[in-house]
Amino acid sequence: MDFMNTILPFGSSLVSFGFAVLILRRYLERKGLHLLLWGIGMIFYGIGGFCEGYYGAIGWNPFVFRIWYLFGAILVAAWLGQGTVYLLAKKSWAHGLMVLLVLGSIYGAVRVFGAELDPSLMTSSLHTGSEMSGHAIVTTGVRSLTPFFNLYGTIALVGGAVYSAWIFWRKRVLLHRSIGNILIAVGAILPAFGGTFSRMGFSGALYITEFLGAILIFLGFMRATTPIEESKE
Amino acid sequence: MSKSIESKANKRRYPPFWEKFIPAAVVILTLIIAVLIFITIRIAMGLAVLPF
Repeated sequence: MDFMNTILPFGSSLVSFGFAVLILRRYLERKGLHLLLWGIGMIFYGIGGFCEGYYGAIGWNPFVFRIWYLFGAILVAAWLGQGTVYLLAKKSWAHGLMVLLVLGSIYGAVRVFGAELDPSLMTSSLHTGSEMSGHAIVTTGVRSLTPFFNLYGTIALVGGAVYSAWIFWRKRVLLHRSIGNILIAVGAILPAFGGTFSRMGFSGALYITEFLGAILIFLGFMRATTPIEESKE
Repeated sequence: MSKSIESKANKRRYPPFWEKFIPAAVVILTLIIAVLIFITIRIAMGLAVLPF
């Protein structure tokens, strides 16, 4: 079993599912749609990692590939970002964007599951050949959906975390939330770099950054929700 | 006995390291987001290759 292409993505999946359980338990205790959406987003993150690990361990499977592309490449960032939108934006705006996201996700699912696949293109792509790649989708107009979802997700999740950190810093309050938001932003942005480095030929870059990203988002969430205790001098 | 840092908000200062680190991180991350948005828009317009 290869560490880089199997154990690492399974590790990301495990961290993500564990984190999702923690967030969803918190949602059941305290409510708040942002928690529900972050929980769903981390389940998507976990599904993506699991599919990558499956591909590394067992190999090509069209159903697993479609699941990976839908949840791991298209939806994960957008659904995590939607959680942040519920936390920071007006309810009416958040609800409106949620409707668009659900409709877009259904459209994405229909397109991904209806797309024609060519598994031979996964290994002859610009990637290193060892990682999963959307190049196997040969139907036009499917892969072009990805940047729209990821743009929304990045602006909402990373932008929202950076904005929150900045606001807390300006007011010099809630240091733990400032630090936590920076960790979340870095964790969320890492897989984007991984994708770029993977394209440049760095084997395993995507899986490494996905693993580190899941851990940083988890640590960021824990830091943001745990006030810093200071000893009295 | 310990005290939460929130209750010291009236001091209006973070510890020295975080006082400098947070704004530096915010600026760097904002620049990275801007670059990512630029790249994504280029991909969406068909001017660059999709990474996935």
